[in-house]
Amino acid sequence: MEYLISGFGHVLNPVTLFWIAVGVTLGYVLGALPGLGKATGVAVAIPLTFYLDPVSAIAMLIGIAKGSAAGSAVSAILLNTPGEPSSAPTALDGYPLARQGKAQKALKMGLFASVIGDFVSTLILIGLAAPLASYALLIGPVELCAILLFSLTFIGGLSGNSLTKGLIAGAFGVLFATVGIETETFIPRLTFGLLELDEGISLVPMAIGMLAVAEMIVQAGNMRALDQQSTEMRDGKSREDRVVTGAEWRRCLPVIARGSLIGSAVGILPGLGASVGSFLSYGATQRASRTPEKYGTGMIEGVAAAESADNAVVPASLIPLFALGIPGSVIAAILISALVLHGLTPGPLMFQQQPQKVGDLYAALLCASVILLAIGYAGQRLFALVIRVPLRLIIPGVLFLCCIGAYMETSSVFSIYLMLVFTLIGYFMRKFEYSFVTFLIGFVIGPNLELTFRQSIQLLDGKAANLVHHPISIVFILLTVVTVGLIARGNSRATQRAEARAGMEKPKEEQLHI
Amino acid sequence: MRQADIWSGAGLALVALLVLFVVIPTQIESAPDGYVSPRLVPQMMMVLVACLGALQAYNAWRRTPDGDGSLPVTREELLALAKISGVFALALALYLWLSPLAAGIALIAGALIVLGERRIWMIVAMPAGLLLAVWYLFYHVLGTALV
Repeated sequence: MEYLISGFGHVLNPVTLFWIAVGVTLGYVLGALPGLGKATGVAVAIPLTFYLDPVSAIAMLIGIAKGSAAGSAVSAILLNTPGEPSSAPTALDGYPLARQGKAQKALKMGLFASVIGDFVSTLILIGLAAPLASYALLIGPVELCAILLFSLTFIGGLSGNSLTKGLIAGAFGVLFATVGIETETFIPRLTFGLLELDEGISLVPMAIGMLAVAEMIVQAGNMRALDQQSTEMRDGKSREDRVVTGAEWRRCLPVIARGSLIGSAVGILPGLGASVGSFLSYGATQRASRTPEKYGTGMIEGVAAAESADNAVVPASLIPLFALGIPGSVIAAILISALVLHGLTPGPLMFQQQPQKVGDLYAALLCASVILLAIGYAGQRLFALVIRVPLRLIIPGVLFLCCIGAYMETSSVFSIYLMLVFTLIGYFMRKFEYSFVTFLIGFVIGPNLELTFRQSIQLLDGKAANLVHHPISIVFILLTVVTVGLIARGNSRATQRAEARAGMEKPKEEQLHI
Repeated sequence: MRQADIWSGAGLALVALLVLFVVIPTQIESAPDGYVSPRLVPQMMMVLVACLGALQAYNAWRRTPDGDGSLPVTREELLALAKISGVFALALALYLWLSPLAAGIALIAGALIVLGERRIWMIVAMPAGLLLAVWYLFYHVLGTALV
């Protein structure tokens, strides 16, 4: 607690607050633009933080993540096009509200719900991460290897529609993580004689290519349709249409509380992601309502439910990262490199070795929530205008920033080549529905997975039977097997249902044609 | 998506086999005695991908044909990919043979033009504004050289 209080002392100064505000503003704008999410924003901004002091740098990145999570509601409400997939349920009621001329009301409720969800989840992070980390210190390489394997499988199974594709993406991520000089034997691996690859592939150009540049290409291909939507929105004239009334607050507060808890619980579990949180919360609110049939026609509670859960996922997803060193989401995976770069290695030991930096980080997280409210409220009308800027003017700027971000990592044009290679990989992964989230997480946990696997082989003397001395690892290996079985069964049933639906729709279509 | 799943699964299985039997043996030396082989994890991953790729292709092949044999990539997106690749190629060539400034101008102005912007003032003002902003941010605010 004393570290948190002194953390506020380090964060509450004009310079750090300025950089948090810059991060929140940047994140809000990026979040409002469809397709440019928090992971993209943080990946592009990491190199910009090289020259900031550690507290300001990490605070700015956290500001981007929080601002972007809240900003994604803007395009969901105004365009019916979520800035990120997790804002899709926001669009279900937000867009009908906007069509009724109540866009300002929906945007305000979205912001308030986002800030409350985010703040509650940050408090849960502060309360849970350190106690969980103290248990994590009791586990050794064999157990950690089993936990990492379980996490990757779990994430692979839940990040897309297909477990097979998720696991393929994760395996490729681990393969790319092996590129470079191997730390035990100093033998170069898969470097093709390129000296630039001796230290391995850098996460920043990879993430920028896969997330940002690939998304820009997809958007460039659909530019006309996206621009058309943004020109069709108008605002209502009465005050009631623009503010959240007391009655609406009373109806929405329990919904926001439930959404915050659902989002936090979902965030703690690796791989579920913000989309699961927001859809679960929306579904729970609809089921609990006396008028569930009205959802989807412009219910303000729908916006509150989705946005509170969506934003609660971000801080909660840092719990497995801080306590175990396992990134539970793509944003956590990207944040690892930023934290390490600024002297904070995520994992259970950071609470013992760098308690003050953890305190600073927590203080920055809480301050970012308050700044998010201030900037979001003051600049909401302005941010809403951003989505009206034609994409042909946005894409060149984003591509330029991507190049700068990739280049700065190594001050070498080789990083730009890497970025372009991973742009192509990312583009085709999107199109063929391979989860790039699992790929990136596989890449980030790959070195640790390999290290603990090698240590496990030595500790177990190469005999699987020796696993009996490591019951925790047996539990996680069994969990991995059960998870694979359950997810595979679920996917197979979903495919059968989809095929059955397609089969039923086909004769109807044929009848209509006759 | 069925056709795409068959082709992508089979393709990935073949790539994995190629990496397993050709790339890994030529690109990773075997380990000295007493060490765990540095080839072990890459080989394990490629065996996994080969098996899963084949499984994906087989499962997709077993599914009822959905009548949609088209690839999930649209013509417009491929065109955008080609145009933006061209702009990047030009910017990289200018970076290597002329200067980073020329590369930056070519990247922004080139992207504006290929995406349909025709107003001259915008094609001039946007590269100038962005490059000035980046110069100010790095050289004045952050106090460091970018190139």
